[in-house]
Amino acid sequence: MNETELRVLVVDDERAIRRFLRTSLTANGYIVFEATNGDETLEAVIRDRPDLIILDLGLPDMEGVEVTMRLREWSHIPIIILSVRDQEADKIAALDAGADDYLTKPFSVGELMARMRVVLRRVAHPEIGPVFTIRDLVVDMARRLVLVRGREVQLTPTEYDLLRVLVTHAGKVLTHQQLLRQVWGLGYEGDSHLLRVNISNLRQKIESNSARPEYIVTEPGVGYRLRFDI
Amino acid sequence: MTTLIGIPLRSFIDPTNLVMLYLLAVVLAALRLGRYPAVLASFLSVLAFDVFFVQPYNTFAVADAQFVLTFAALLGVGLLISTLAAQAREQEKAAQDRATHTRTLYELSRDLALVLDPIDVVNTMTTYTDRIFRGKAVLLLAYNEELKLVKQTDCHLDKQGLDVADRVFREGKPAECLVDNQGEVYGAFFPLRSTQGIIGVLGLWLSKLSTTLTSEQWRLLEAFASLAAQALTRINLMLEARQTQLLRESEKLQSALLNSISHDLRTPLASITGALSSLREDAAFLDEAARSLLINTAWEQAARLDEFVGNLLDMTRLEAGVRKVKPEFYDVQDLVGVALERLGVRLDERDIIIKVPETLPPAPIDLPLMAQALFNLVDNALKYSPRDCPIVIDAKVVDTNLQLAVIDEGPGIPAEDSMRIFNKFYRVQRSSEVAGIGLGLPISMGIVEAHGGRISVANRSKGGAVFTIIIPLEIPLNLQESEKKE
Repeated sequence: MNETELRVLVVDDERAIRRFLRTSLTANGYIVFEATNGDETLEAVIRDRPDLIILDLGLPDMEGVEVTMRLREWSHIPIIILSVRDQEADKIAALDAGADDYLTKPFSVGELMARMRVVLRRVAHPEIGPVFTIRDLVVDMARRLVLVRGREVQLTPTEYDLLRVLVTHAGKVLTHQQLLRQVWGLGYEGDSHLLRVNISNLRQKIESNSARPEYIVTEPGVGYRLRFDI
Repeated sequence: MTTLIGIPLRSFIDPTNLVMLYLLAVVLAALRLGRYPAVLASFLSVLAFDVFFVQPYNTFAVADAQFVLTFAALLGVGLLISTLAAQAREQEKAAQDRATHTRTLYELSRDLALVLDPIDVVNTMTTYTDRIFRGKAVLLLAYNEELKLVKQTDCHLDKQGLDVADRVFREGKPAECLVDNQGEVYGAFFPLRSTQGIIGVLGLWLSKLSTTLTSEQWRLLEAFASLAAQALTRINLMLEARQTQLLRESEKLQSALLNSISHDLRTPLASITGALSSLREDAAFLDEAARSLLINTAWEQAARLDEFVGNLLDMTRLEAGVRKVKPEFYDVQDLVGVALERLGVRLDERDIIIKVPETLPPAPIDLPLMAQALFNLVDNALKYSPRDCPIVIDAKVVDTNLQLAVIDEGPGIPAEDSMRIFNKFYRVQRSSEVAGIGLGLPISMGIVEAHGGRISVANRSKGGAVFTIIIPLEIPLNLQESEKKE
């Protein structure tokens, strides 16, 4: 699927934002549709069949979180939410409700494109393949083997699971809750210290400098992301 | 005694004159010993005179009936003298007391004139109550129509005492009650009046009931209360004056700040508008390089404006207490990573040395907030130190605290500025070269203090500044509530 066929729905009540997004996306070969509120969004998804939605969290009639929840009842369409700084609770709620990633306003078009590419790639290539390579890190999921700069790294089962989840969502942010649920299971959502300790141990094993992590990036207040630039 | 002097003289002196000696004795008794001894002396004198100096000697019988008159006169005069002398004595004592009371009041008012705090008022009143009455004082002040006890050490005020005090406060009339069953101590409560009405109640603990006090003593107590009231009124007025002054100063500061903010926001905006207007209007005359330059200018200034607005919002939220600190245990390395990540490309040309050992224990921090605090410190270091100098981030544990230091090799902080740099909008250099609205350090300080820590600043001996964030490794009590709610 090349980019000229991809359809993007831009949802924001601010005309200026819609304008610059339309200009930029069109220049990058996307077909752009617009909506200004929750109801229009749901209609547009059915009518225009976009491949991705860029959704502002601060919509007038319906909170962006609610739109996400409603959409996720019947659609897996990728959603990137736009939020302002310190809107942490809403951001996390939207991500937990099923949004794929977020961008903090003001943002640059470059950042947006990068996020979009990651999210769309997952849709295009849902099978990530047994071996995942990024820079010096190799994760062979068939053989449960992790190599850093060619040398094998010994991980505990939990650390491995954590890395695996991050890798299968490479480039995408995962909230604390999502990670806890996928690695430890239901009922562990409150145990964020478990997560932090394991992330810390994992970093010490695969990062060359845990204070300037190359692979596992902390999204403060939200969760973690495996850095994956396409 | 007079009798002993008189007997040998019996033969020589006429009995009439001896009577005078007895009278003298009675007067002396009255002056020295008081009324009742003098009365006793009068009676004894008459009897002694009768026995020893009136014929027949050594009997109570009287030969010459005229002596009965003498006896009566002697007794009468003696009693009168007793009374008068006793009265004179009492009046002299009363006058002395009054003088003492006046002096006491003078000293009390002199001491109260220097007092700055209601607690000092209580202490002073206790000193004086003790001096005159061997008692103590308690003070209750009215706050919002309710009486509250000003802290005092050993006077116990039970429910009954509080009720009486309350009644005095509302009715404005003194009252008293027993405050200590064992020691028979009575509390006399006086309303404290000022121009603003009754501002409180003064309780004086005395070892006897007020009805046993003289009216002089009672008036003295009332005077005590009056002086206490005056002192308290004075203290209140002083506080009001100071608050008014602070308010005025704060308003002056606010308008200065608004001017400063207005300027700092408008300047980048002016650059953006200028650059974009040129792109619009001069399009035909601009070559690729010029267009590129204008676009980059607008871009950079927009970033600067974004930073300013972000800082202002952070500061406002911090001061409004909107954002509560929710500490969780994070690796210090994680904190450093997040802060540096946020600095992005600005770090590319600089040498950042990170000395954060893996063995450091996790620290209780609110990650987004503390990352902002650290970011501001590193941002400052980047701005104020030359490009070729490294910046060091050093973390270690000292006692029960984490010490996270940002060290640069710039010009350092002049001694006189070391406190001022934490003031809002203060900048060591005001130039467009060094971008910044002057809120970075105060924000960092506010965040660190909200964690129960502090920031210290010092200069390196070899030049450059060291900013150290010091936070406890255990969650402070006042933040533990929010931890539990997680």
